[in-house]
Amino acid sequence: MEVKIRKTFTYIIIIILVLVWLLPMFAIVITAFKSPEEFASQKFYELPKKISFISNIKIAVEHWKLYEHFVNSLIYAVSGGVIAIIASSMAGFSLIRLKPRFNLPIFLIIFSGTLFPFQMYLIPLYRLFNNIGLYDTKLGMILIYSALCVPFSLFVYRGFYTTIPKEIEDAARIDGCGPLKLYTRIFLPQSVAPTAVVALFQMTWIWNDLLFGMVLTRTGAARPVMVSLAAMSGVSGGIIPYIMAGVIFTSIPTILLFILLRRYFISGMVLSVAGE
Amino acid sequence: MKNNKFISYLFILPAFLLVVLLLIAPMFQNIYYSFFKWDGISEPIFSGLRNYTALFSDSNFITSFRNTIVWVIFTIIFTVMGGLIIAVFLRGLKFENIFKSVFYIPITISFVATGIIWNYMYSREIGVANTLLSLIGVDKISWLVNVPLNTFALLIAWTWQQLGTNMVLFLMGLTAIPIEQTEAAMIEGSTKWQTFIHITFPMLRPVTTVVITMAMANSFKVFDLIYVMTRGGPYRSSETLAVTMFRETFTMFNMGYGAAISIVLSIVVIGVSAFYIKSTLKKDLLYY
Repeated sequence: MEVKIRKTFTYIIIIILVLVWLLPMFAIVITAFKSPEEFASQKFYELPKKISFISNIKIAVEHWKLYEHFVNSLIYAVSGGVIAIIASSMAGFSLIRLKPRFNLPIFLIIFSGTLFPFQMYLIPLYRLFNNIGLYDTKLGMILIYSALCVPFSLFVYRGFYTTIPKEIEDAARIDGCGPLKLYTRIFLPQSVAPTAVVALFQMTWIWNDLLFGMVLTRTGAARPVMVSLAAMSGVSGGIIPYIMAGVIFTSIPTILLFILLRRYFISGMVLSVAGE
Repeated sequence: MKNNKFISYLFILPAFLLVVLLLIAPMFQNIYYSFFKWDGISEPIFSGLRNYTALFSDSNFITSFRNTIVWVIFTIIFTVMGGLIIAVFLRGLKFENIFKSVFYIPITISFVATGIIWNYMYSREIGVANTLLSLIGVDKISWLVNVPLNTFALLIAWTWQQLGTNMVLFLMGLTAIPIEQTEAAMIEGSTKWQTFIHITFPMLRPVTTVVITMAMANSFKVFDLIYVMTRGGPYRSSETLAVTMFRETFTMFNMGYGAAISIVLSIVVIGVSAFYIKSTLKKDLLYY
């Protein structure tokens, strides 16, 4: 009897918490479906009579130029992620398998990039980018995003490459594979898991970045999407159904990526924790 | 063979150059700037340690430092302890997976989006929180204006976003504990609570350490959420170190002073995670 009461109690607490967690999600979705007029005349939980979701998104995208920034961020996430993946898998491969002299100090130097809060880099980067003409350019943003992704990615690849049995490598070497072939034919094709982890975490990070976007860009030509989303909800308030439509629109890529790669989430979490 | 050596460095070069040129070199430059008075336009003037000594008498910095500590403490209470409690209670419930996914959907949403969503939740006139409270006759509350309520309101939004990650990690840790252990204790007559304190919690220790370290490091660095929701206001009352650094540097153009704040922040963050990083690296390096 007592067990039953306790169990019911647990369910009640958990269900209350679940409802609290769902409330904001419910609020965004239902609000994004209302026209501004309807939103103004209703309580938030009342259902819309007419679905205005598509027109809300259209206005959010056109008026705040979300589309332009959406494309910018897509470019950053993909190219930043790909550059980090190539650069760090190559480096990880070399550090573990070619074992050059100083491989440990080199690793530690690169890895130290995960230790510092981003604020440590902002001022010099702002100045550097202004001086060499990378300020407010796509190229500059791609470079800085890739650089910021490299330390964690290297940590992941380096760890993974230690688990590939040495025999495979020896066999390949006997068949006459040089380092480049070894990397492209043997190591890279086996790197599905670390690549998925890196892609999931680093592309999501780039997509969600606000700080570097604010400091290193000024115009639509280079602004990433989160900066323009943040600007949408400026101090003056703005029209909430449009803003919520904007929130949903700009969250689609990361949600999709997450759904696609969710089985790598746990292993990535564990690694990213280790890489902190 | 000599050729191979050259190639092995060539493989490392792109990653090394990216990190050294865009992260490591700027970091040292940042330390250098912190000894200068500089508005970003005219020539920097050397000022020794004056940026650092000025911190102690700057009431904005002191508020910001205090807020940062509040953030860290309550991040541990809300997201770590909360995540642990929810993980423990969720285990073995019917619909465990559905409940679990509800808690971690917010992980996929950015801090900017989280901030915007919660701004709407907290909006005084049309906000979700005040609308619901009005149903039970509570007057309108200015969540993001009153001090210290605003910091706690921000912390709730933060918890909504962060708790899921910790919960998932704790669930993972819980699954790794052999069920016989807890069952044996129960048979010997210990209550659920005793079993948790004496068996489950000690066995979770590795996970707990990881989660706490990560939560602390993240909460020291919090920026986006505060920037989007309050801009650190009103009157700089909800700033944390990361926000203060940004404001001093890019709104007020006290570049040297901003650099000094970023260094204080780095020292604190690294101090907190140093122990942990050391043990990770040691384990990692022993391995290979």
